[in-house]
Amino acid sequence: MMDIFLCLKQPSRMVDSKRMRMTSNFQWILLTFLLLYLMNQVSSQKKRTPHDLKCVTNNLQVWDCSWRAPSGAGRGAAYEVCIENGSHSCYRLEKNTKIPALSPGDHEVTINFGSSISKFTLNEKDVSFIPDTPEILNLSADFSTSTLHLKWNDKGSVFPRHSNVIWEIKILRKKNMEIVKIMTHNTTLNGKDTVHHWSWTSDMPLECATHYVGIRCHIDDPKFSGHKEWSNWSLLKNISWSSDSQTKVFPQDKVILVGSDITVCCVTQEKVVLALIGSTNCPLIHLDGENVAIKIHNISASESSGTNVVFSVEDNMFGTVIFAGYPPDIPQKLNCETYDLKEIVCTWNPGRPTSLVGPRNTSYTLFESFSGKCVRYKRAEVPTNESYQLFFQMLSNQEIYNFTLNARNPLGQSESTLLVNVTEKVHPHTPTSVKVKDINSTAVTLSWHLPGNFAKIKLLCQIEINKTNSVHELRNITMKGVENSSYLIAVDKLNPYTIYTFRIRCSTKPFWKWSKWSNEKQYLTTEAIPSKGPDTWREWSSDGKNLIIYWKPLSINEANGKILSYNVSCSSDEETQSLSEILDPQHKAEIQLDKNDYIISVVAKNSVGSSPPSKIASMEIPNDDLKIEQAVGMGNGILLTWNYDPNMTCDYVIKWCNSSRSEPCLMDWKKVPSNSTETVIESDQFRPGVRYNFFLYGCRNQGYQLLRSIIGYVEELAPTVAPNFTVEDTSADSILVRWEDIPVEELRGFLRGYLFYFEKGERDTSKMRGLESGRSDIKVKNITDISQKTLRIVDLQGKTSYHLVLRAYTDGGMGPEKSMFVVTKENSVGLIIAILIPVAVAVIVGVVTSILCYRKREWIKETFYPDIPNPENCKALQFQKSVCEGSSALKTLEMNRCTPNNVEVLETRSMVPKTEDTEIISAVAERPEDSSDVEPENHVVVSYCPPVIEEEIANPGADEAGGASQVIYIDIQSMYQPQAKPEEEPENDPVGGAGYKPQMHLPVTSTVEDLAAEDDLDKTAGYRPQANVNTWNLVSPDSPRSTDSSSEIVSFGSPCSINSRQFLIPPKDEESPKSSGGGWSFTNFFQNKPND
Amino acid sequence: MKVLAAGVVPLLLVLHWKHGAGSPLPITPVNATCATRHPCHSNLMNQIRNQLLQLNSSANALFILYYTAQGEPFPNNLDKLCSPNVTDFPPFHANGTEKARLVELYRIIAYLGASLGNITRDQKVLNPNALSLHSKLNATADVMRGLLSNVLCRLCSKYHVAHVDVAYGPDTSGKDVFQKKKLGCQLLGKYKQVIAMVAQAF
Repeated sequence: MMDIFLCLKQPSRMVDSKRMRMTSNFQWILLTFLLLYLMNQVSSQKKRTPHDLKCVTNNLQVWDCSWRAPSGAGRGAAYEVCIENGSHSCYRLEKNTKIPALSPGDHEVTINFGSSISKFTLNEKDVSFIPDTPEILNLSADFSTSTLHLKWNDKGSVFPRHSNVIWEIKILRKKNMEIVKIMTHNTTLNGKDTVHHWSWTSDMPLECATHYVGIRCHIDDPKFSGHKEWSNWSLLKNISWSSDSQTKVFPQDKVILVGSDITVCCVTQEKVVLALIGSTNCPLIHLDGENVAIKIHNISASESSGTNVVFSVEDNMFGTVIFAGYPPDIPQKLNCETYDLKEIVCTWNPGRPTSLVGPRNTSYTLFESFSGKCVRYKRAEVPTNESYQLFFQMLSNQEIYNFTLNARNPLGQSESTLLVNVTEKVHPHTPTSVKVKDINSTAVTLSWHLPGNFAKIKLLCQIEINKTNSVHELRNITMKGVENSSYLIAVDKLNPYTIYTFRIRCSTKPFWKWSKWSNEKQYLTTEAIPSKGPDTWREWSSDGKNLIIYWKPLSINEANGKILSYNVSCSSDEETQSLSEILDPQHKAEIQLDKNDYIISVVAKNSVGSSPPSKIASMEIPNDDLKIEQAVGMGNGILLTWNYDPNMTCDYVIKWCNSSRSEPCLMDWKKVPSNSTETVIESDQFRPGVRYNFFLYGCRNQGYQLLRSIIGYVEELAPTVAPNFTVEDTSADSILVRWEDIPVEELRGFLRGYLFYFEKGERDTSKMRGLESGRSDIKVKNITDISQKTLRIVDLQGKTSYHLVLRAYTDGGMGPEKSMFVVTKENSVGLIIAILIPVAVAVIVGVVTSILCYRKREWIKETFYPDIPNPENCKALQFQKSVCEGSSALKTLEMNRCTPNNVEVLETRSMVPKTEDTEIISAVAERPEDSSDVEPENHVVVSYCPPVIEEEIANPGADEAGGASQVIYIDIQSMYQPQAKPEEEPENDPVGGAGYKPQMHLPVTSTVEDLAAEDDLDKTAGYRPQANVNTWNLVSPDSPRSTDSSSEIVSFGSPCSINSRQFLIPPKDEESPKSSGGGWSFTNFFQNKPND
Repeated sequence: MKVLAAGVVPLLLVLHWKHGAGSPLPITPVNATCATRHPCHSNLMNQIRNQLLQLNSSANALFILYYTAQGEPFPNNLDKLCSPNVTDFPPFHANGTEKARLVELYRIIAYLGASLGNITRDQKVLNPNALSLHSKLNATADVMRGLLSNVLCRLCSKYHVAHVDVAYGPDTSGKDVFQKKKLGCQLLGKYKQVIAMVAQAF
């Protein structure tokens, strides 16, 4: 109910509000119309008078005022304008009027037009300052640099005072006038007309597209308080490249800085399909027509031939080359010096390469600021090892120079400066024409040429003096410089007759640099007299009649020239004897003297004169207490020491020679001052391993006494040969060895002993290896007593081969070895024992056996040879219970398998119990197939066991033993082929054998005889079983077949005699020990020793 | 030697160009006396053949050396940058008489010699470090001079031709670097092509 009421009330409310809103809007419309009416009335009132006064100025001196003419005023209507600016002035004008600029402040302006009067208040602030539109006087282009040059006049003369002007210049490109750049340019008006220049370099070659330029200005007069506005833009001027029809690429051969950007364009009438920078594609920027451009950013350094930029059209390519490089680096290490004080040479390092070559390469200019002169650097067309240097001619009376080296290339320039006093920077040339002249034997003059004028400075020269095999000597000389370049000095303190090599270099004072060394000049100084006499020694000849004088040639320093000859003289108290002159290469003389005391004098002579004499006494003082000592050197020499002896007044002399040479022997000698007690003897002639004799002489009262005699080696070596040794005596347990001495030449050192090795060994098998390796089976004897020449080796084994080795040793090492094989003698006692013991044992065994046999002869007979065999004792029928029982290996006698075919009872002459003939029908004959089924109880087996005959069985064929009486043979079926060889049967003929006698000689039954008669007599000549022996299988009990116990059918390994317990056992294989007698010997006894 | 080559070759070229590069030289009168300073070699044609073979054998190497030294993209755009379309190159007819062939050969070698001089000069400025190229250019120019002398000797001694009108290629001295490179490459490409044909014709 409530909802319905509300719904009914709402429409009435809405109507009321609408009514109220419509009343309000209506009032507003009325007010608006009223206002418009009033404004129109006012406006129409205005329109009837001049109105909208506006003033502008373009020169700040004249205001150009204008107003709107009243309605109804025609063209040419005249107005009276009166301005109240302190003084009342009126102008009769038409619609616009130019009035002089009014002073700041409000001014009343009255414009009378007929009867209507309009009054305005005019202030400078209401005036707009709009400069005149500037006019471009000239627009030009430098296509090579892509630069536009703009020229215009500021018309400053029209302005009353100085003002700042801002010029705005706009660059437009292409026919569609894309604005490229708008830039401002500030100038000042100075009351005069001034032509301004402005240049702009385009990033795009101007040839690529038409470029337009416009300009406007804005004058900023600080005293003008009105509106300052920009002028209008000037008329555009353009620059375009008048191209012919040929395709061209711009810019051409441009040199730019590495890393900068560049625009390259192709002006063409063909369609460009591709642009390449080197081998890299670049996107095209299309310009007017078919013209295209590419922009290269951050370009890298070019190769020497530049960077190729190409544009490809359908069948051609056009391009340009850009050279990207660096501006020249600051010249480094600029240095200026002079060689001769006539010319200055400046050198420098160009620094970083510019990557620009040819005409774009860096050019250098050297400028001297004091004189104002300069020189330019010209590069060689083909650069070799470029040396950057410039020559500058020195100026007279100028020592200080201020150099500026300027480097320039298309990308920029740099410079380096240097202030230099050239007199302090002298680097002289190499001295030339070095000459040497004699002054005397120890002094020469040196002259040389040094180019340059050094008259004003001092020179410091260095002379290098080289003597052969000597340390070079440097001498510094300071001298005054001369103008003519020739210099001369004296060089003294030289050695006579010596080859010197001189060379010179010079510098100046103060020092800057040495010149190079001059060429070497070699010179031989003149001779002087020998400075001392030769070193002499004397030896008596072996017969003691002649004295041989030796002397050593003088050294070069002592000879002072070429020694031509020697004078030898001898003098005694009574007389002086002079010998003839001895020419140089000979350095000994022999004088026949008696044993008197003589003084021998030797003088060396060269072309200048004679040396002081060298004297030596001939007398030799005997020494009874002389021992021969040993000494070993240090490899290159040998040290000899002795005790100080105050009696030795002159000097000591050590002479030496090779010990293997015969006397008198002299290799060399050495003199030592008398106060010395030791000396080292060194000589190039010394060889290691060679024995030398050294003799120490002391000089006493003008005579020499032999003090010591020494044998020695400078170095000991190992012997080269082994001692030669022989075996003197050999016994069963020892060997006596004797050896000989080793010759001194082969010993090569002092013998320290021998090493003797021995071991068991045969010549062919034993090798004496690794003697020093400590093998336990090698015995070593070290014999340090070198006088010992024999050695007995004991505790050896008899009849054994021994390997003997002997080697000598010195301190230099072990010598080679010499070896020998020796066999010791046999040990007779052992042999005898070895023989006697077996014989004795055999005898004892034999005797004991004989005794036993004798004492048990009855038992033996009963057991083995009974007179009447007891059938009960026949074991053949008891096999299962006795022999064969319990041993699977002896199943050969299982009788249930031994089924006889027939049994024959033979009549014998001997008295034996007769057995009834019993015919047993062979199951085989009757039913061969059922032979195995024959029951045992159906057979009657009559057997007879003869006595056992002990006889060595050599062959199974000989086993066919049987009793002398009736024997029953059992034909045993055998599954195996017999192994016995029929041809061996005759050899085993038992006829010739002892023991069991077979039935071959017995009378047999007729049946048997018939059968036997049919056979060959030979075949029947012996014991013969009644079966084919070839079917016998001779299997030993231990043969593989016989051990086949699992088989039900176990055949006999041999034919079986029922009355015998002997089985025909085949001979055993070869491995079984042979039992044949007579084979044993003593030799075998020895051979079977465990050692073997 | 280099100084000599550097000095003499331009001098000779200048002497030739003096009368007008790119235009035929004044023609020798037909009745002009023909005299050689030295007697011609007896086996002159053989020498000419050998010289042609020598030039032919080295032309390709020179071409390769040249365009390699100009940098990319020359080696990979030989068809557009080094095409042998040299318009004013003297013609050669392999089936003409020996005299005609010799005259044409003379014109070709004279043209090539002058052009090679331009190339050598430009490359010394542009590629001062390409010594092997300079050496090859100089060697080729040397052989060409000898060949020119031999051909003239042959023409004079056998055919009594004392002078042959020759024309030269455009002077590149005022051209931009790329034009120098391109013209040189085109010329050497043309040289390689023509010298093979000429060597075969003799």
